[in-house]
Amino acid sequence: MIELRAVAAGYGGGDVLQGVDLTVAEGSITCIVGPNGAGKSTVLRAISGLLRPRQGQITFAGEPIGGWPPARIIAAGIVQVPQHGGLFGDLTVRDNMLLGGYVIRRDRARIRRRIAELEGAFPIIRERSGDKAANLSGGQRRIVEFARALMLEPRVVLLDEPTLGLDPRASQLVFDSTQLMQQLGATVLMVEQNVRFGLKLASHGIVMERGRVLLADNADALLRRSDISALFFGSGAADAAPVEVVRS
Amino acid sequence: MTAGARRQASRFARPGVLVGGIALVAAVPLITDDIYYQNMAILTFLLAIIASGWNIMAGYAGYVSLGHSAFIGIGAYTAGITAQRWGVSPFVVAPLGGVTAALVALLLGLVTRRTRGAAFVIVSFALLQLLGLIARNWTSMTEGSKGLLLPLPTWSIAYQYWPFYYALLGLLLLSIVMSAAIKRSKLGLGLVAIRDDEDKAAGIGVTTPLYKSLAFIASAVLVGIAGAVYGYYVGFVEPGAMFDIVLSVEAVLAALLGGRGTVWGPVLGAFLLEPLSEVTNSHLGGSNAGAFRIIIFGGLLLVVTLVLPRGILPGATDLLDRIRRRDRVGVVGRRLSEAPVPQAPASRRADAGAASEVLLRVSDVSKRFGGVRALDGCTFDVPAGSITALIGPNGSGKTTLFNAIDGGYAVSGGQVEFGGRPITRLSRTGRTFAGIGRTYQLPRLFGSLTVLENVAAASGQFSLRALARSAVSGAEAARARELLDFVGLGDYLSARAGELSYGQRKLVELAQVLMLDPELIMLDEPAAGINPTLISRLAELVRALNETGRTFLIVEHDMQFVLSLCDPVIVLSRGTVIAQGHPSEISRDHEVVEAYLGEDYVPQPVPAAAAT
Repeated sequence: MIELRAVAAGYGGGDVLQGVDLTVAEGSITCIVGPNGAGKSTVLRAISGLLRPRQGQITFAGEPIGGWPPARIIAAGIVQVPQHGGLFGDLTVRDNMLLGGYVIRRDRARIRRRIAELEGAFPIIRERSGDKAANLSGGQRRIVEFARALMLEPRVVLLDEPTLGLDPRASQLVFDSTQLMQQLGATVLMVEQNVRFGLKLASHGIVMERGRVLLADNADALLRRSDISALFFGSGAADAAPVEVVRS
Repeated sequence: MTAGARRQASRFARPGVLVGGIALVAAVPLITDDIYYQNMAILTFLLAIIASGWNIMAGYAGYVSLGHSAFIGIGAYTAGITAQRWGVSPFVVAPLGGVTAALVALLLGLVTRRTRGAAFVIVSFALLQLLGLIARNWTSMTEGSKGLLLPLPTWSIAYQYWPFYYALLGLLLLSIVMSAAIKRSKLGLGLVAIRDDEDKAAGIGVTTPLYKSLAFIASAVLVGIAGAVYGYYVGFVEPGAMFDIVLSVEAVLAALLGGRGTVWGPVLGAFLLEPLSEVTNSHLGGSNAGAFRIIIFGGLLLVVTLVLPRGILPGATDLLDRIRRRDRVGVVGRRLSEAPVPQAPASRRADAGAASEVLLRVSDVSKRFGGVRALDGCTFDVPAGSITALIGPNGSGKTTLFNAIDGGYAVSGGQVEFGGRPITRLSRTGRTFAGIGRTYQLPRLFGSLTVLENVAAASGQFSLRALARSAVSGAEAARARELLDFVGLGDYLSARAGELSYGQRKLVELAQVLMLDPELIMLDEPAAGINPTLISRLAELVRALNETGRTFLIVEHDMQFVLSLCDPVIVLSRGTVIAQGHPSEISRDHEVVEAYLGEDYVPQPVPAAAAT
C-alpha cells in the first residue's frame, strides 16, 4: 500500500531520515518502534506531506506521492492523526467532525451519511455531539480524532503515539478503536512508544534506529525476539513488574 | 538564537572589520566638512541607540514597546531643565537624563507584572502619549508647548557638530558593548527564557521581576543620555518633537529590518534606514515627501515581514547554515549509551525536610475554574524521602494539583505546606528556591535556546553575581552536559529545542529539573512517549536520587512503572483523593479498579523475584 525507498528528510539541522526503506501492507496495522528521536514521527510526516523528503521515493498504491502538498495527499486517501492537540477545543464535537469533511463540504449528503455511519461505530460522536471538545476527557478526545480522521473514508490512517497521556482505560479504548478502524477498511500505520501495546495491536512491526529501518517482521515475531526486546522494549519486557495488570 | 547569533557575531564582527569600521565612522567629520552628512550620521547614531535599547527590552525579553523614543524626550527634558536652572552645559547633566529614563523604565517594568503581549504594546504607547501630555501641561517646568530653549554651544564654530557626533558615536559603541555583554551573560539567557515562556522561566529559578527590571533599565539608560545630547544638538526641546511616535516606529522598524534579538541587527537596520529616510525626504516627492516616506517605510516593513521575517542578519545566517549543512546528516536518536546513571550529588538542602517526616502536606485544597471544581478538598501527605505516585483517570485533577503545589495556580481554598512551612503565598520562583521542581505533561522548553542552554538556564538558588557570568560555563555547564548525556541527548547539545521530538523534549525537561536539584521532584507523566529501555533507566535514576534523600511525586499512567517504583500510591478521582496506600493494596482496591483501571481488569501477582 505504502512504500518508502531510500527516503532522506530532515528539518534544517540535517537529515533525520537517512535512507529509510519500508513497506506497509494493505489492510495491516503496522507499528513503528524505536528509541526517542530515531525518526519515527518523521516517517509519518514525510508520508503525510508535512515534511518534504529531500531524496528517495514514497509511493502510495503504486503512485509516487513524495513532494505532494498535504492537501493532495489527504485527497488521495492518507490521513494523519497528530500527536496531541488535534481537536479544536472551542468547537463542538459535531463541528470538529464536520471539519474532518471540510474538503468534501459541498457534498452534504455524503457528509451526513458518513457522520451517521461513524456514530454507529463510535457512539460518543452522537452522545457528546453538542459538547465542546475541550470538555471531553483525554481518551474521548482521541476517539473523536479517530472518527474525524475517518470522515473522508481514507485508505490509510497515520497515528502518532495514540495512547500518549491516556489512562489505562482510555488506552484500552484506543486499542479497540484502532482495530475498529482497520475493520472499517483503513490500513493503519502507527508510531507507539508503549511498545508492547503497539505490537500487540499491530500485525506488523518495524524497528527504527538512527534514521534507518533496523528490521521489519510480524509483530508477534518481533515481540518474541529477546535481543530486540533487550535493546528497545525495556529489560525483560515480558514480565518484570511485581504486579502486572492483565486483561481477564 | 544565541548559538547562531554567536556564530554570526564572530562572522560579522571579526576584530579587524570592527576596528576598521569604527575608525571609518569616526573619521567622517575629519574627511568632510559637509554639515549635511554630519547631521545624517548624528541622526543615524541616535536611531541606532534607540533601536539597540529597544532590542534589549523587546528582542531579548520579548516586551515589544511602541514608545521607546519616550526615553529620548525624558533625557532631553531632564538635561534641558537642569542645565537651564543650574547654568551648566547640557553635556554635564546628560547622565541625569539617563537616570531619569532608567527610573521611568523601572516604572514601566512594574506594569509587566500584570501585562504582557499586545496589552504591553498599548501601555508603552500610552506612556509616550502621557509624557507628551505632561510636558505640554507642566508649564512651570517645561514651558509647555512653547518649548524649552537650550544654551548655545560654547565651542569654536570650526568644530561644527563634532562634540555631538562623537558623544553619540561613543554612546552607540557603549550600547553595542552592553547589548553584547547582556546577550552573553546569564541575565541574557534568562531574558530569552522569559521571552519564550515567562511562567516556565519563573519555575526554573529565573527571578523574573529582577531580570525584567534590569533589562528595562539597560534598555533605557543610554537612550536617555543620548536624548540629552540630542536635545542639546537641536537646541530646542518641545513636546511634539520629543515624544513623537514616528521615531519610536522607526526604531522598531530598524530592529526588525536588521534582526531582532541580535546584537548588530538593530544597528545595521538603523544605518540602512536613516540614510534612506534622508534620501526620501530630500529627493522624492517634493512637497509630498512625508507621504512618500510613509509609503516607502510601510512597503519596506511589508517586504521585511514577507521575505526576511527574522531580519537581515538571522536570515543571512540561516541561509549560510543551510548551504553549509546541505547533504550533512543530522543527529538522530541512538541506542542508549552504557554510561552509568549520573551520580546524584548530596542534597545542598540538608537542613530542610530532614527535620519533619512529611515533606509536602496538601490540606483541603480546592481549585475552581468558573463552575468546574477541578480540585475539591484534596488532602494528602508526601512523606519525606518517599517516591509517591499520584494516579487517576484523565481529567481527575492531577496536573491541576501540580500547578497548585508549584505555584502555577492560586488555589481557591486550602493550604499547601512544604518542609513544615506554608507556601501557599510564595511566588513560583520562591517555591523553586524552596526546593520544588516539576516537569510538564507537554514539555515546555524555550524553543529558541539550544538544548544545553535550556538545561543551563535552570538554577535552584538565587545569586546576584551569577547574572553577570557567562551564560553556559564552568561547573554548571559540565553538570548540564552530564545530565543530558544520561538522558541520551549528549549529541544534541547545540540543537535548537524546538526541533526535537516530543519524547526528546520530555527528556530535556527532565534534565532541566534535575539541574535545579530540588528536594521535591514532581514529574508529570515522565514515561509517556519515552522508549521502554529508557523508562527502566529512568526508574534507576529516580531510585538513585531517592537514596540521596530526594523526594518524588510522580503522575504516571504506566502502571508497571508506578507499581514497581512508587510507595505510597495516591489515587485521585474528580479532584478528591479516593484511596492511598501501598501499591499492592491499591491495585486490589475495588474503587480504584473501577475508577481507573477499568472493571474488566484484574490484578495478577507475578513472582516476587522480579520485584526490585
